[in-house]
Amino acid sequence: MDYNFQFSELWPYTNLIVDGLLWTIALTLITTILGCLLGTLGAAARAGRNKLLKHLVGAYVELIRNTPFIVQLFFIFFGLPSIGIKLTAWEAGLLAMVINLGAYSTEIIRAGIEATPKGQLEAARTLGLSRVQTFIRVVLPPALQTIYPALTSQCIIVMLGSAVLSQISVQELTFAANFIQSRNFLSFEVYLVVALLYLALAVLMRQLFKVVHYYAFPNLRARK
Amino acid sequence: MPLVNIDNVHKYYGDNHVLKGIDLRIDAGEVVSIIGRSGSGKSTLLRCINGLETYSEGGIIVDQMEVTDDDSQIRKLSKSVGMVFQHFNLFPHLTVGQNITLAPKLVRKLSAEEAAETAREVLQKVGLQDKFDSFPGELSGGQQQRVAIARSLAMRPKVLLCDEITSALDPELVGEVLKVLETLATEGMTLILVTHEMNFARDIGDRVIFMHQGKVWESGEAKAVFANPQTPELQTFINAVL
Repeated sequence: MDYNFQFSELWPYTNLIVDGLLWTIALTLITTILGCLLGTLGAAARAGRNKLLKHLVGAYVELIRNTPFIVQLFFIFFGLPSIGIKLTAWEAGLLAMVINLGAYSTEIIRAGIEATPKGQLEAARTLGLSRVQTFIRVVLPPALQTIYPALTSQCIIVMLGSAVLSQISVQELTFAANFIQSRNFLSFEVYLVVALLYLALAVLMRQLFKVVHYYAFPNLRARK
Repeated sequence: MPLVNIDNVHKYYGDNHVLKGIDLRIDAGEVVSIIGRSGSGKSTLLRCINGLETYSEGGIIVDQMEVTDDDSQIRKLSKSVGMVFQHFNLFPHLTVGQNITLAPKLVRKLSAEEAAETAREVLQKVGLQDKFDSFPGELSGGQQQRVAIARSLAMRPKVLLCDEITSALDPELVGEVLKVLETLATEGMTLILVTHEMNFARDIGDRVIFMHQGKVWESGEAKAVFANPQTPELQTFINAVL
């Protein structure tokens, strides 16, 4: 092996990499919040009584979970303009990510809801809580507790998946890497650095989710 | 007019005829124990009284409200009928205080202060005023069940249904829960209990209902029923459990 590593050649591109990183973080943050919200609504609809809504959400979940993310992204960015819906790359990318996470988190949260012991529902019913009150106050919090690890992983997967947005020129981290690599051909160096940044971001996210968990679920801290 | 009026109630699970024409009138302030073998229909009957189970024929009227499975009717009933379960069914993510104040705030529309005041009062009654900020997971089974009783009481029910509320407890914890029930009984709360605590049924209860094969097989004043069972089925049952 006579390859001469030239990591120092990346220094001039630091700004690009940092910008890309910030874009990735921003996209991930917004997607995590909106996607989990969408997933909660989706799960509520699937657990609810409205048959039409239930099936619509079911179709949405199956459609998204059984098609490639990049195809979903291309459809939104390149396909929708044909029917007059024109989005910027940034908007299309974010929309694709939210829709994607929404579908997966719908399934994840639904699993948590279905794990609700029957006694909890009977207690809520006996106390006179309405269906909506029961869902929000009694069913949802323990359901989220139960599926929290799975949801964390899914959010990280979506963060990693945001790399695909480089294909529609969203200037996130992978876009920056591609750009730098096309200028100096230092593929090894660039992609190694970027891979490590993704790794760091994933580790950071997991820690952040743990912090949120600590404050969101105080009952798990309290044990005799 | 009796507080609880059960009139010729039938219930089927598919082909299985589990309640075969139950007639029962319970007045305010009565303590009624429903005893019988498992499968005799006693829990089903109890759960019909507050609409957790539907019935196929007949009628149940509680506090002048007809019991139906309609959601809004059940919400109305919840203000008159409380229920305590075998497995407590406390909300694990909420503190004791939050468990108790949840329904008074959402259903009775009490302010946070009023609800907290109520919670402290009912906790005092079950002897757990120091557990306001604890989570259910931090409490023993007996304490959890007392909180569950307090949670029901906070809704100011006129009748409290107790579905084998000591059956899931370690033997040494049964006493503290029964003591709370005894206090409630002395204070005039109407109690309908499905129970295996025969001593409690005999000593504290006013009336005992012995159910067998989906029917009220025998009933009467508590001490008399235990002292002079009229049917061989009750005789066998008493011999088996006492």
